[in-house]
Amino acid sequence: MFAYIVRRLIGAVLMLLLVSLVTFGIFFWLPKLAGQTTDQIAAGYVGKAPTKEAIQDTKERLGLDDPVLVQYGNYVKGIAVGRDFEAGPVTDHCPAPCLGYSFRSSQPVLETLVDRAPATASLAAGAAVIWLTGGITVGVISALRRGSLWDRATMVIALSGVSLPIYFTGMVSLQLFSYSVEIFPGGGQYTAITADPVKWFQALVLPWVTLAFLYAAMYARLTRAGMLETMNEDYIRTARAKGLPERTVVTKHALRASLTPIMTVFGLDLGLLLGGAVLTESTFGIPGLGRLAIDSIRSGDLPMVLGVTLLTSASIVIINLIVDLLYAVVDPRVRLG
Amino acid sequence: MAAPIEVSGSDTEAQPESVLAGVDRKKIQGRSLGQIAWLRLRRDKVALTGALVVLLLILLAIFGPYFVQDPLKYNQNLIDPTYNRPKSGFWHSGISSEHWLGVEPGTGRDMLARIVHGARISLLVSFLATLMSVIIGTTMGIIAGFFGGWVDYVISRAMDAFLAFPLLLFAIALVGVVADDAFGLSGNNLRVSVLVIVIGFFNWPYIGRIIRGQTLSLREREFVDAARSMGARNSYVLFKEILPNLVAPILVYSTLLIPTNILFEAALSFLGVGVNPPTPSWGGMLTLAVPIYSSDPMYMIIPGMAIFITVLAFNLFGDGLRDALDPRSR
Amino acid sequence: MNKMRPIAVLAAGVVAAATLAACGGGDDSGDTGSGPGFNAGVKEQVNKSDKKGGTLKFGHSDDWDSPDPGNTYYAFSQNFSRLYGRGLTTFAPAAGDASLKVVPDLATDLGQASDGGKTWTYKLRTGVKYDDGTTVTSKDVKYAVERSNYSAELQNGPKYFKAYLVDNKPAYPGPYKDKGDEGLKSIETPDDQTIIFHLNTAFQEFDYLVAMSQTMPVPKAKDTGLKYETTIASTGPYKVDSYARGKSMSLSRNPHWNQSTDPLRKALPDKIEVQLKQNGDDIDQRLLAGSLDVDMAGVGVQSGTQPKVLADDQKPYVDNPVQGFLRFMSLNVNVKPLDNVHCRMAVQYATDKVAAQTAYGGPLAGGDVATTVLPPTVAGYTKFDLYPQKQAEGGGLDQATLAKAKQELQACGQPNGFTTKLSARSDRPKEVAMAQAIQQSLAKVGIRTDIVQYPAGDYFTKYVGVPKYVHDNGIGMMIMAWAADWPTGYGFLSQIIDGDAIKPSGGNNLAELDDPKINKALDDAIANPDEAARLKTYGEIDKMVMQSAAEVPLVYAKALMYRPKRVTNVGITYSYGGMYDYLNMGVE
Repeated sequence: MFAYIVRRLIGAVLMLLLVSLVTFGIFFWLPKLAGQTTDQIAAGYVGKAPTKEAIQDTKERLGLDDPVLVQYGNYVKGIAVGRDFEAGPVTDHCPAPCLGYSFRSSQPVLETLVDRAPATASLAAGAAVIWLTGGITVGVISALRRGSLWDRATMVIALSGVSLPIYFTGMVSLQLFSYSVEIFPGGGQYTAITADPVKWFQALVLPWVTLAFLYAAMYARLTRAGMLETMNEDYIRTARAKGLPERTVVTKHALRASLTPIMTVFGLDLGLLLGGAVLTESTFGIPGLGRLAIDSIRSGDLPMVLGVTLLTSASIVIINLIVDLLYAVVDPRVRLG
Repeated sequence: MAAPIEVSGSDTEAQPESVLAGVDRKKIQGRSLGQIAWLRLRRDKVALTGALVVLLLILLAIFGPYFVQDPLKYNQNLIDPTYNRPKSGFWHSGISSEHWLGVEPGTGRDMLARIVHGARISLLVSFLATLMSVIIGTTMGIIAGFFGGWVDYVISRAMDAFLAFPLLLFAIALVGVVADDAFGLSGNNLRVSVLVIVIGFFNWPYIGRIIRGQTLSLREREFVDAARSMGARNSYVLFKEILPNLVAPILVYSTLLIPTNILFEAALSFLGVGVNPPTPSWGGMLTLAVPIYSSDPMYMIIPGMAIFITVLAFNLFGDGLRDALDPRSR
Repeated sequence: MNKMRPIAVLAAGVVAAATLAACGGGDDSGDTGSGPGFNAGVKEQVNKSDKKGGTLKFGHSDDWDSPDPGNTYYAFSQNFSRLYGRGLTTFAPAAGDASLKVVPDLATDLGQASDGGKTWTYKLRTGVKYDDGTTVTSKDVKYAVERSNYSAELQNGPKYFKAYLVDNKPAYPGPYKDKGDEGLKSIETPDDQTIIFHLNTAFQEFDYLVAMSQTMPVPKAKDTGLKYETTIASTGPYKVDSYARGKSMSLSRNPHWNQSTDPLRKALPDKIEVQLKQNGDDIDQRLLAGSLDVDMAGVGVQSGTQPKVLADDQKPYVDNPVQGFLRFMSLNVNVKPLDNVHCRMAVQYATDKVAAQTAYGGPLAGGDVATTVLPPTVAGYTKFDLYPQKQAEGGGLDQATLAKAKQELQACGQPNGFTTKLSARSDRPKEVAMAQAIQQSLAKVGIRTDIVQYPAGDYFTKYVGVPKYVHDNGIGMMIMAWAADWPTGYGFLSQIIDGDAIKPSGGNNLAELDDPKINKALDDAIANPDEAARLKTYGEIDKMVMQSAAEVPLVYAKALMYRPKRVTNVGITYSYGGMYDYLNMGVE
């Protein structure tokens, strides 16, 4: 068990190195492949007056002159042992794990990530609760009443849910519930839970429901399919033959087994969401990691982009590990090795 | 489930039993699985409706542009300059006998024409991207599943890695970085190529995993063992025994990947990294609708519904197809 | 929509009131309801009050480039920074033409010019203190200019001081690299109250330059470079309690600010709060609901909110000012066949400006049709129209106008028209829509254009601002927008029509206009101490540019601004590009 976790963690670190290397490549190798010079790249980070001097200064300050691998090496080194940052008259020490400083705003990346994470976590957690309970309940009922009107109707609704672009549902729900009928606050009113729990809740209801609708649809379908498959298994027949009440058969035996694939998917989904629900956050104006990512990509703020992608990948990897560990708990047939 | 899955009408129809020679297959098997699937699909009204809509959409994307108005033509006389939205039509949509879906705020461009042209971009990008995913995914999946060992290990880890990438972010970054003229292409040719490559490249692991799994199980089947025991080489087993049996899952998952890719393309366009304006795209229209939807809601609803209907149709059809080809899922 | 734009700071002290009445904009016919009236805030500050207390709430859909006065370029930032900082001069807190007047702020008086306008001397007020109680000296002003213009770290702001001040030999490397005490030799501080600037050329509008936030004093001991934005030393009536990038800023009273040293500021609210990165629609909704006081970006409401604010009950609370910047199309004088003036004139006639205006948002949110390079709120604006156009019934240019265009095409030797490329910024959908409107109108006289698009971030540095790229790719027409860094004719024109503004990359003179006559007229004007003569010259230069037909003015940008009922002393200032003046706002 312990060895397994260690092995997985080493794998995770390699994975993160790979992700950061690819991100680096996209931002620094690709433009060069497409024919841009270092000066042109640097010009993107100079203010409104891209004079030769300013470009030279910027190149030096951001270390853009170094070969990409050297830049990458410095980055990794920063994570391992920390880095110094020249802010002009003062030098700032950024302790390990140092994710660098924004090319745009000179803010420490880690600080910004920590600052933005709660909004994203609030969004993801609330939505996950709704979609898991909603999706699984609907899925189980549909599986049990297979072929009924309920089954057909919910499955078509579920398919519709998967087919809707979230920014569209977001706009429609904002239009309906906050601009036409003012039940919920409009976009961009996110308040931290520590500042005002009531406002926090009110501002997140619409994004939660919108986001959850999309996922609930998917989970309902998954649960239904899983349930149908397990209900045909021999051990279910055995359980019934033993005279166990149907409720026990369904919840203890069938549902438990069909949870395994759902957990896999849930791990991936939640991991991705924790890295920022880009579209939901944009539509509802939630200042989370997704918004940060989009803004940073648009302004070519590489250290920020790296920070968010690393965080996302890390959360996916870690949650997957947790899911795999949980397998052993939920499904006795699984053994870690 | 010993019988391999076949699809009728396929050129590469598998005849695994013929390896055993002399057995008259037709006498044993009344209907191929393809035929059975078709019979099942025919009874599935919902899936058929989806299929019909898909067909219509494809026809619309191919031929529609020749029948609608010029999507770039301005009709600014239809715009109320004070509010910058159409003068007439319910909800200020500009819907009239001349413009069935209304006109765009500001420019007065015909919405029907823009939706139809948008369908072309949307379907083109998603079909090509799906094709790319399927080619890479199938190749990698078969290689991994068939050869196993370290090859399988490397490819599987690569697929895991891809699944742990924040795809949307990477796609935006990639499209953004090569937004200008590069690699001998420029303008929308470049944009479409980049979109196809980005979407296609990032989605292959989904197909790859499924194909790998299928290949793994096919590899252990009796008919493959039989072929091997008769001295068949790897390439023979791969192309004559395994590949034909993968046609059905490939077909199903391609159909289900197309709507995902349509949504992906729309999301990229919505975030401003799709095809360049004035070329119409559904996601791009929704972006333009953001600041104005409270005063001209139809401008948001129309492209939104276009995406919804298209994606839903593909999903219904793909779902039905899967049910028909794989009876266990029903 | 991009909500940011460079500053359109400063304007002349003397501008004919008649000029401003013409540009102040719009009709007042919509006056119904009980509010102060449509466009009331354009002419003068409305809801005047001296009542202190309360919290003034700002919202912004984006963020500062940096709130550090030495590292910022945006107009809203220049306007807002005066709440926590005091530069040598600033603009009178007023609306309409009165807002264009430069007045002393940290200095006791406007600059004392000598040496024919090459030396400028300012005396500082006594008793001005930072929020920690230490006294402001002229050395802090000198240091502020040095760090903002000469350091490698602070890149966001304009670099005018660097361009006009005499440099050290060898070149001054900025205060962070140069560890000596002397610093830049061309700024002298003989005593704590005096500062003297030595320029490399006669520059009669120096009072406008020192109105920029870059002269707000920064104590060397407190400077933390790029991190200074979170530790700003305040000299204004408010101090910055916190600034969280992308989220918020909050200000409270500076206990060491003394009303007796400051005749300009009323310092009414007790607290000022700024929420950043807000959703644009939501800002509008909250303005209408009264839970937010000011949209800080100052570029107007979202198009979706337009019908709401123009409804009868809200219209009296709306202003529709000219924003001091011009949307125009440059015709490159080195790209064939536009190297021929007649071909350019043909374009002048054949460009349907009304169609372009509608594509950009119409007369209220888009702007007024433009016929000159200088917008009406820039000192030196003269009204004229060298290429008059008429609209046909039912839209489009009339036959007479098209005939004139064809005539010019004939004169150019291209009777059947020609083909060229027209560029626009891909991530500005309205600009692309405008390009298309122009494309369609030009096609009527046979001028065929391919629209090429580039991302805004690289537009000038990699594409149309690079002459070689423009020539290689044959891009004859380029759409752009321009606002002056200080709205006198010189501030507006020097960066876009002066031969010196043609740069290998990142230049703004897209037409590559390099007319010795125009260049000389500009140089002479800025050295001319006679203000009236200077302003007159700007109008003449504008005419010379239009005679060359190298720039096609499209619209003078306008915006719909909403002023909530509870906000006091609210009026449009032209000196910061037609947004509300933030200096003396209060709440009821």
